[in-house]
Amino acid sequence: METTRQSFNRLDGLIDELHSLFDTWESEGALLSHLDEDTIQLFRLAVHEWVANLVQHARFDEKSPMVTLDVIPNGRRVRCIIEDNSAGFPLDERLDLQRLALKPFPERGMGLLMLNAATEYYEYSTSENGRQRLEFTVSADSDPCLNIPF
Amino acid sequence: MQATTMNFSIEPITHDSVVIRVGKALDFRNAADFKAATQEQVRSGIRNFILDFSETGILDSTGLGSIFSLYRQVSPMSGQVVFASVSRPVQVVVQLTRTYKVFRQFPTVEAARESMR
Repeated sequence: METTRQSFNRLDGLIDELHSLFDTWESEGALLSHLDEDTIQLFRLAVHEWVANLVQHARFDEKSPMVTLDVIPNGRRVRCIIEDNSAGFPLDERLDLQRLALKPFPERGMGLLMLNAATEYYEYSTSENGRQRLEFTVSADSDPCLNIPF
Repeated sequence: MQATTMNFSIEPITHDSVVIRVGKALDFRNAADFKAATQEQVRSGIRNFILDFSETGILDSTGLGSIFSLYRQVSPMSGQVVFASVSRPVQVVVQLTRTYKVFRQFPTVEAARESMR
């Protein structure tokens, strides 16, 4: 089954590049053809939220940003690995805080929670080469829900 | 007269209602502009907002947050925020966050307008 690795070395315009890639994958059909359209959009949303978080909040200090995106189709799932050379942050701790802080009709603080809800599984770690690594799967067989207080 | 800001445009339909054609994206890059534009509309007396998502390929958490902000402003004044022509990427966000419980959806802008008459 086809897999892909894409590399990005600037944050400016990264979101546009990302969505152009998704547009290409969707129109060409090969990479994500094993998934229904809703699952593809859910996957796209999860990737968007993570990359948006990188663009807005990640610390790269003196380093030039480097981001890689691996997409691995897997049956009725898609597995994704996003690595970057930022300083990283305690994702689980941040998720706990955001859950506790979520107010009715929140204006901010939903991005990581949305990623968490959209994914079947995720793991965030520092890899052997010192890069931050998020791995997650999105499944066609789930009905994910982010409980926002209304 | 139609006003355009970033990639969305605002079209008045009655003295207190507008259609906002959201355009290709409502996300962290333009949510602040959306919020500022809708706040200005509320200040000028607009209470009912039809959001036209027919062209929208990206609605992210920050974009949704800006819609919640608008809802918080107008709902105490008996105002409405409704969704029209919801594209599939937007529908996936609506389903994930269960916001269909809050925002009524219509197949077209015209149907949304009819509901407000």
